[in-house]
Amino acid sequence: MTAPRVELKDVWKRLQRRSEVSTLAELLYGLPRRLFQRPDEDGLRPHQFWALQNISFALEPGETLGIIGPNGAGKSSILKLLFRIFRPDRGSVHAHGRVTGLIELGAGFHPMLPGRDNVFIYGSILGMSQREIRSKYGAIVEFAEMAEFMEMPVKNYSSGMYARLAFAVAAHADPDVLLVDEVLAVGDASFQARCHDWIERRRRLGCSIVIVSHQMHVIQAATRCMYINQGQSVMLEAPRTVIDRYMRDQAERMQHTESEQGICRVELLNEHHEPIQELVAGMAVTMRVHWNLPEPVVGPVVTLDLVHDDPRYLISTPGGNLAQLSSGDTLNGETAHGSGVFDVQIERLQLPIGMYRVNAAVKARDAFIAAVRMEDAVRFEVRRPADSDSHALLELPQRWSLSQPTEAGAPPKP
Amino acid sequence: MKAAQDLRELIGYRELIAVLARREIRARYRYSLLGAGWAIALPVSLMLIFSVVFSRVANFQTGGIPYPVFAYAGLLPWQLHAGILTGGARSLTDNSVLVTKVYFAREVLPLSRVLAALFDFLIASLVLAGLMAWYGILPGPEVALLPLVLLMQVAFGVGLAMLIAGANLLYRDVQYVLQVAVTVWMFASSVVYPLPRQGMLGWLGYINPITPILDSYRALLLGAPPPHTGQLVAAAIICAVTPVAAWLWFRRVERRFGELA
Repeated sequence: MTAPRVELKDVWKRLQRRSEVSTLAELLYGLPRRLFQRPDEDGLRPHQFWALQNISFALEPGETLGIIGPNGAGKSSILKLLFRIFRPDRGSVHAHGRVTGLIELGAGFHPMLPGRDNVFIYGSILGMSQREIRSKYGAIVEFAEMAEFMEMPVKNYSSGMYARLAFAVAAHADPDVLLVDEVLAVGDASFQARCHDWIERRRRLGCSIVIVSHQMHVIQAATRCMYINQGQSVMLEAPRTVIDRYMRDQAERMQHTESEQGICRVELLNEHHEPIQELVAGMAVTMRVHWNLPEPVVGPVVTLDLVHDDPRYLISTPGGNLAQLSSGDTLNGETAHGSGVFDVQIERLQLPIGMYRVNAAVKARDAFIAAVRMEDAVRFEVRRPADSDSHALLELPQRWSLSQPTEAGAPPKP
Repeated sequence: MKAAQDLRELIGYRELIAVLARREIRARYRYSLLGAGWAIALPVSLMLIFSVVFSRVANFQTGGIPYPVFAYAGLLPWQLHAGILTGGARSLTDNSVLVTKVYFAREVLPLSRVLAALFDFLIASLVLAGLMAWYGILPGPEVALLPLVLLMQVAFGVGLAMLIAGANLLYRDVQYVLQVAVTVWMFASSVVYPLPRQGMLGWLGYINPITPILDSYRALLLGAPPPHTGQLVAAAIICAVTPVAAWLWFRRVERRFGELA
């Protein structure tokens, strides 16, 4: 039996919130205290915490592990352990073959040097030989689509160009194990799409991939998914199952953090006025905005921006949102004061499938800026109907017919 | 053995060491007004200052060697040493992105600084060649031993660079202490004046390998009196032990660098 490509076994990692001693002066002053101080029963000194506890998984060639979890859960620590930036305190970490980490794109780029030099520097940092880079240079420049900028110092690049060049180099490193952090959230949509296509191609060629992302469509593309929270693995299952659980936890947490004033929370209701979190494309849904306004808002205009989780859809709207619901002039005669709700009924939810978050705002009719607003007020997922066999993101209500001319030359009857 | 395996890994990174050294040199030479003159400016200006000052204030026994050449032949290798120390000290902290976001053997960073300092040394040694030609000093066949002296110095420098780089990552004030230490060290060595080989100052030459090393440079290049044998032997031992000891220590603390940088 051969060992898996990547394996973490009962890994524990201790980190420090802030370094206990960071200067010689502190070392001298703190020495007597430190000599008598003993770690507590968990083996932790002050300011230390367990960033990871008892994490285990194994990956075969051609597998992708997606890791999700709230900020600070320990996602990046797993990548850093695999990349040997961190060493485990307990347990073992193994990764076989060339490990390339895209934890930070362009780490080691020198801003003063032109793109060409930086291709060689970054390639070398990622473990490629100079000869290998020289032979792939043309392909790298072509992949980045930046032939005319290679003599320009990198400091003059836009952030998108920077990311594109860095990714192009990394893409040619031929890794056996690829570690991807949120890095691909930079750059424009078509660049991101190409990155993910490339990652998928690498996987089919037998690369093992570990990817950390907040973007559910990225996680969904993985072969397996781990949900971690506070350094512990909550579940390790098929992406669909894990995402469902994660979304449920998120929604629960969201309800705990509702605010007292302004927009309190936004709720999704089905046709029986029951709260829901999962929506099916085409269904009827009501969005309910709970508010508490100490100052009256005359002629309130309510807007709900629906922001898709997949940034490839932030095409060109100024707000970057895929869809917007706005009350416009319909509440002109009203005044919102004290507490209450706005309801907006959507007869047929015709949105592309995927994850959404909602930013809500209320402004007075004559005002330019919102009186109250709430970012990320609620999250929901739009799913394909269970009976749908479509692979499209969006299904339009449609009626088909066929007509044929009854006599030669005569137009079909309408 | 684990150490042998680590050493093999490190040797595998020799190309990266060169690439990072070149990155540093290119960036410095491309965008500074002086370009290559940068490496020359400091030792030359120090040489001029000390020539003016010491020709009025003191009269050193330079063994008949004109003072400007005498001083420059000391300042040149001293600048290499100082460059290795100050460059090495910040090698890990300057590149904290590399330390926290990418993996490669961490020794690569101080080593690449040593290599960059050597490049400056090479450029600045052209001035020494010019000075020697100007004063009509021609080295004898013993100059063939020069690479050995350089090797000693670089081995010592590599050890110290790793030590200080690691220490500076653990304790960020090391680089400030170092600035003071380098200045004191310069005047405690035979950089711009010869040191007596007996008494208190002679004893200093045993624990400070730089004095016999600089004396060796002058002896081989300028025909100055040879270094004190006892001091030279002590220096050879220190220069051999320092990199090994420093590397063993570096390997131990290096495991935590990713969390600290």
